[in-house]
Amino acid sequence: MVVPHVDASDETLAARAARGDDRAFDVLMERYQARVYRLACRLTNDTDAGDVVQDAFLQVYQHLNSFRGDARFSTWLYRVATNVCLMWRRAHARRPTEPLNAFLPQFDSHGTHAQTPVYFDRTMHLEERLDREHLAAAARDALARLPELYRHAFVLRDLEELPTEEVAEILGVKAATVRQRVHRARLLLRGFLNALPEESR
Amino acid sequence: MNEMTCESGVKVLMEYLEGTLAGDVRAAVEAHVATCPRCVAFIASYRETPRLVRELTAAEIPADLVASLRAHLRAHRREPPREP
Repeated sequence: MVVPHVDASDETLAARAARGDDRAFDVLMERYQARVYRLACRLTNDTDAGDVVQDAFLQVYQHLNSFRGDARFSTWLYRVATNVCLMWRRAHARRPTEPLNAFLPQFDSHGTHAQTPVYFDRTMHLEERLDREHLAAAARDALARLPELYRHAFVLRDLEELPTEEVAEILGVKAATVRQRVHRARLLLRGFLNALPEESR
Repeated sequence: MNEMTCESGVKVLMEYLEGTLAGDVRAAVEAHVATCPRCVAFIASYRETPRLVRELTAAEIPADLVASLRAHLRAHRREPPREP
């Protein structure tokens, strides 16, 4: 019995699409378009995400024959989409590098946190202190300020909530490297957000 | 191992939270945090950061993009998929 498209696995659909079944590709696109769009917004920006998504799905479509089925389809799709975002940023959005050490936690000569709990607590009250729109813009800006390697690992692991091992496969690095990059990203983002100016609603 | 400080604890915090840290280092982190209000506050803000950014950057795909994605693909379907 042939499994209908809606019940078929991603890998089955990808194989059918590679043999020319366009309806199978439509179903794959329906499954992943929202996730790929969200990823593109986080790795590029809201304005260009639409073009990036189009390009990513076109690349997937045109290279279906190179998907061998030894990886999960979703892992392969994320890899293609992440690379399209990377190419886009390299072409359009080079930011000057800024010194980032000031946003990492600071320690005294004994290795003790230089800041007090009250200072760290500011992160916990951002949603009370700042209006949603301002805060969302600050979060997008903070993501864009991250060095590329950290941003990719953080977005896939912490925002798309993929397992560390899958992120490692997507990025072609070891799991320990993913953990290290995600950690640096969290430290920097925490620092960026914590440094937002005090401003009441 | 040397005595656990805030700084050495922060270095292994991700591994600690992922549960990939060796038992003795894990115990040392826990012993330090139990007596360190700065680390308690820092860890709370470290854990809050991804949640906050995830919630604030969760964009919904626009309906017109869904339609144009299909049209875009259809326009390219006349070309057969490429060989790698």
